[in-house]
Amino acid sequence: MAFFEQHIHEAPKTFLSKYVFSFDHKVIGKQFLWYGIAFLGIGGMMALMIRWTLAFPGEAFPLIGHFLFPQTNGVVPPDTYAMLFTMHGTIMIFYAITPILIGAFGNFCIPLMIGARDMVFPTLNMLSFWLAVVSAILLLVSLFTPLGAAAGGWVSYPTLSLLIGSPGIGQTLWCLALFILGVSSTMGAVNYIATIITLRAPGMGYFDMPLTIWGLWLTAVLNALFLPVLGAGLLLLTFDRVFGTTFFLAGAAATSGSGDPVLFQHVFWIFGHPEVYILILPAWGIVSDLLSFFARKPAFGARATALSMTSITVLSTVVYGHHMYTTQMSPLLTQSFMMLTMTISIPSAIFFANWLGTLWKGSIRFQTPMLFSLGVVFVFGLGGLTGLYLATVSTDLYLHDTYFVVGHFHYTMAASVLLGGFAATYFWFPKMFGRMLNETLGKIHFWISILGLNGVFMGMMIVGYAGMHRRIYNPFVYEFLEKLIPINTFITWSAILMGFGQLFFVYNFVYSMFKGPVATQNPWEVGTLEWTIPSPAPVHNFDEIPVVKCGPHELGNPNLKGRDFQYQTEELVEV
Amino acid sequence: MNLYSLYLKFFVMSAKASEMSLWERMKPPIDISTNGHLIDSLFHLTTMLILFFFALVCIGLFGFSFLYRKSKHPVALYVHGTSKKHIAIVASIGALVFIMVDMKITGISNRDYMESFAKWPVETSDVVRVQVLGQQWAWNFRYAGKDGIFNTEDDIVTLNDLRLPINRKIVFQVTAKDVIHSFSLPNTRLKTDAMPGRISKMWTELTKTGVYDVVCAQICGTYHYRMQAKMIVYTPEEFENWQNEMGERATHVMEKDTADLYWGWKWVANN
Repeated sequence: MAFFEQHIHEAPKTFLSKYVFSFDHKVIGKQFLWYGIAFLGIGGMMALMIRWTLAFPGEAFPLIGHFLFPQTNGVVPPDTYAMLFTMHGTIMIFYAITPILIGAFGNFCIPLMIGARDMVFPTLNMLSFWLAVVSAILLLVSLFTPLGAAAGGWVSYPTLSLLIGSPGIGQTLWCLALFILGVSSTMGAVNYIATIITLRAPGMGYFDMPLTIWGLWLTAVLNALFLPVLGAGLLLLTFDRVFGTTFFLAGAAATSGSGDPVLFQHVFWIFGHPEVYILILPAWGIVSDLLSFFARKPAFGARATALSMTSITVLSTVVYGHHMYTTQMSPLLTQSFMMLTMTISIPSAIFFANWLGTLWKGSIRFQTPMLFSLGVVFVFGLGGLTGLYLATVSTDLYLHDTYFVVGHFHYTMAASVLLGGFAATYFWFPKMFGRMLNETLGKIHFWISILGLNGVFMGMMIVGYAGMHRRIYNPFVYEFLEKLIPINTFITWSAILMGFGQLFFVYNFVYSMFKGPVATQNPWEVGTLEWTIPSPAPVHNFDEIPVVKCGPHELGNPNLKGRDFQYQTEELVEV
Repeated sequence: MNLYSLYLKFFVMSAKASEMSLWERMKPPIDISTNGHLIDSLFHLTTMLILFFFALVCIGLFGFSFLYRKSKHPVALYVHGTSKKHIAIVASIGALVFIMVDMKITGISNRDYMESFAKWPVETSDVVRVQVLGQQWAWNFRYAGKDGIFNTEDDIVTLNDLRLPINRKIVFQVTAKDVIHSFSLPNTRLKTDAMPGRISKMWTELTKTGVYDVVCAQICGTYHYRMQAKMIVYTPEEFENWQNEMGERATHVMEKDTADLYWGWKWVANN
């Protein structure tokens, strides 16, 4: 077998080349982690403002309300409310979850877990991060423009997102920011795909890769295929806004020729449905691995899990129409999309069965990463199953654009992905920083988070079923929604609880980074390649490129002597 | 606004909450249509199926976590789940979900959609036809009037005021002037997007008189939340009276030069 020659470069010496413009995948991963966590904080604060408005309409937002909204005595005004939920969605999806799961852990884990010294294109990798920074600056600047930031929802359907609905420059900046972020993510995706294909350590077949790598790889494939679609749609939208074209303009405002606003919905959801799998696939992969590592037994049906994730990746590209049932496609299309959407539950059921199979007869250790992984199984179970209501067209006619949808996708995209991201953070922190996070604080963080998020998202599904529609500033102008005030108040208190729980994480993270107990080379006693090198990982990762001789989940083999796991670099011990 | 008043407010609300049980609050608005129960019953069936499968997940998750914790079960079983038996179990779970849940609810939903919601009524004279125009941030409604032709002088045009009879089929044609809206009647469980440049359709038949809400479900700008209309449901006789009265008034009000009132379009019947 011929492999890439991977040179050992000298370690960078200056501050700039070491911490800022670094080619090192581990540093870029950490940069993405800071970036993501910072935006998680901003997006979370926006969520709290949204929740506050819904539970206590007309009350000033505590502490910072008077500073942010002096004209209204601290009350969130309706136009700002629209900006808040738009930016909350945009920030959480593109600037928090994507950087943390894909940017940070993709960069950090891929070379380490496949036994490579770096990504295959380190410069592209650095460019990917700095383009993401440019995009973030554009997005944040848009908050301070005269008419404010984009306010048409994170989907930004025209014609609301065209000049007739959003005349301000904020929406244009939003388009440009997302376009640049799309370029950045595509660069990352190309890099990940190429790295995984070419730089796997000798002996590592595709099914010898940890499932984390499978998840990240499939995500990268979807990103590389579908982010350009979003980019095309956003460019057309920008043309409509800036150059006066009419791709998406129709109705009274279309004076010369007319396009079709629904066209944008097609373009958007061709990207948008794979996007939800882009976000969740890394989390699935991480959870599949961690369940096995902490149950001390091989991942049950690992190959089937990998293949189910692959088939979901394929299926996710042909189901986008279920986002558009109420636009009245032809009934034939409606039927096809409904049926295709339903088939996704087969592979989902298979990997759920595999997850439970992994726990079955294990010897489970409930350390923090495991708690978060089990949390993912719970919340993704709920999130995935509630998708059924939205996949069947007739129930969707009622539930479409209600809070039920919001609750459903927060369970899948926010709760599952966030818990998966936390599991990964607690798990790889020792390899990133050479120190351990505090277990007690981690467990407090977990329990507060899971209580809070279930309160929030279950509450959202309940008010949604009771008829409360999305993106309304004050639901209680409707008589039939007045009865939902107490439930909305409950949701808001849950959200505040959840936000409060994150303080434990932030404290734990910052404290442990400098003062935590020093981590050993392999604190979790697992056999994947990143644990064969010191913590934190040295600049070029592996002094010698490892040779892989067995799979990533060889735990609990009864013939092993002295320990219950074996490294991937060791010959498989016969049973 | 201090924390104390918040505290008060929270508990005052909880006191009010005792008048209505949580179960009551969780219920969707009252169903006033002949087909709404199809959606409600499919929702309940799906809920039952989901609860069953989620219970299985929880039994596995919590049961195994409890039974096989390290202190109780120190040595894990070395099994890869690749034996024929294990593959068969996993595959049959997949098949079970598909047959028990997917096929079932897809079949029902498909039947309901094709035979009820998307099966447009034959437009005899008994069918009430309404044109709906969404704009930022109001609903315009238009009835054909005496001549049965839209966009003529005797049309009845209302703003945020939809009046409908019970026991007659009602067909809506919906579009929007500026941005996308969504014409939603929570009490009939139906909604359809109002899109500039397109006409979408919706039909229903009502069963209960009273006053209900018409909602815009799709974000349409700052005052999206105030894009609310009232739906007043009459008995057929009351509706006739209202139509006659309004028709008379319309012929006095509608002038050729009030061009902005002529926003209607030529009705294209389904049959």
